[in-house]
Amino acid sequence: MLLSDLLDARVVDDRGRPLGFVVDVRLVLDGPLDGALAAPRLHGLLVSPRTGTSFLGYERSDARAPAVLAGWLRRRHRGTFLVLWEDVAGHGSDDDERPVELRAGYRRWAPTLPPRTGG
Amino acid sequence: MSPRLRRHERPFPPDERLPDPPRPAGLVLDARLHLLDRQVDDVAGDPVATVDDVELADRDGLVVVTDLLSGPVLATRIFGGRPPRSRWHRIAWRHVTDVGIVVRLGVHGEELDVLWVERWLREHVIGRIPGGRHAPE
Repeated sequence: MLLSDLLDARVVDDRGRPLGFVVDVRLVLDGPLDGALAAPRLHGLLVSPRTGTSFLGYERSDARAPAVLAGWLRRRHRGTFLVLWEDVAGHGSDDDERPVELRAGYRRWAPTLPPRTGG
Repeated sequence: MSPRLRRHERPFPPDERLPDPPRPAGLVLDARLHLLDRQVDDVAGDPVATVDDVELADRDGLVVVTDLLSGPVLATRIFGGRPPRSRWHRIAWRHVTDVGIVVRLGVHGEELDVLWVERWLREHVIGRIPGGRHAPE
C-alpha cells in the first residue's frame, strides 16, 4: 500500500455517512527496529472537512504566527480529528476508489501533535 | 476548488473540543507534514532525492513504513494520476538515520538505485565530453 492510497481519500462511517477527507497520516516510530530507527507504525488518520491547505499543519500545532494566516487556516480546518488505525474497517487502493470506512463506535481524538520528543 | 464537505453535510459541530489521544511512546510524525517533499541527504550530506511517496506494509499485524519512494511525479501532480509502480525508486527505511528538516541516510547515494539516471548520464554523456572526467579547475 502506498501513502497516496490514503491521502485525500473520502472518509465515511459504518453507515456510509460522509465525515471528511484524509488530510494526513500519523506515524509513530515505535514499530520493530529497522536499521538505526524503529520502523514508523501507522498510528491513525487525520480527517478534515476540507482537503486543501492542511499541509501547513496549523490546525495540529500551537503555532500562532503569522496571526492572520494562522487564524484563517485554523478556522478553515475546524472540525479536523484524529481517528486511530484500529478504528479503520476498510480502505481503497490504487485501482479501487473505495472510501476509508470506519468501524461502528470509532472514537474521534484531538488532532494536536505532541511535542517532538522521543525517537 | 479542492473537495470539501459543505457546511450542512458536516456531521459534527466544528468547534467541538475533542479529547487528547493516547500518547504513544515513540516520535510522532505526520507523513505529509514531516516526510513528503523533504530532501533526502546521504551520509556525506549530498542531496539524493526527495520523498514523493511512502510504501507501507503489514508486518506481524502492524502496518509500518518499509520504503521511501521517489519518482517522476511532476506531470502527475499537475495533471493528476500516479506514476506506474515500476517507475518508483525505493529507499529502504533501514537506511534512514534521522528525520528532521531533511531526511538523512546512513549510506552513500552512489549505492542507491535512485541515482542511476545521474550515474548513467555521467558515464555515457558527460564523461565523453573532453574534460568531462575531472573536476573543473
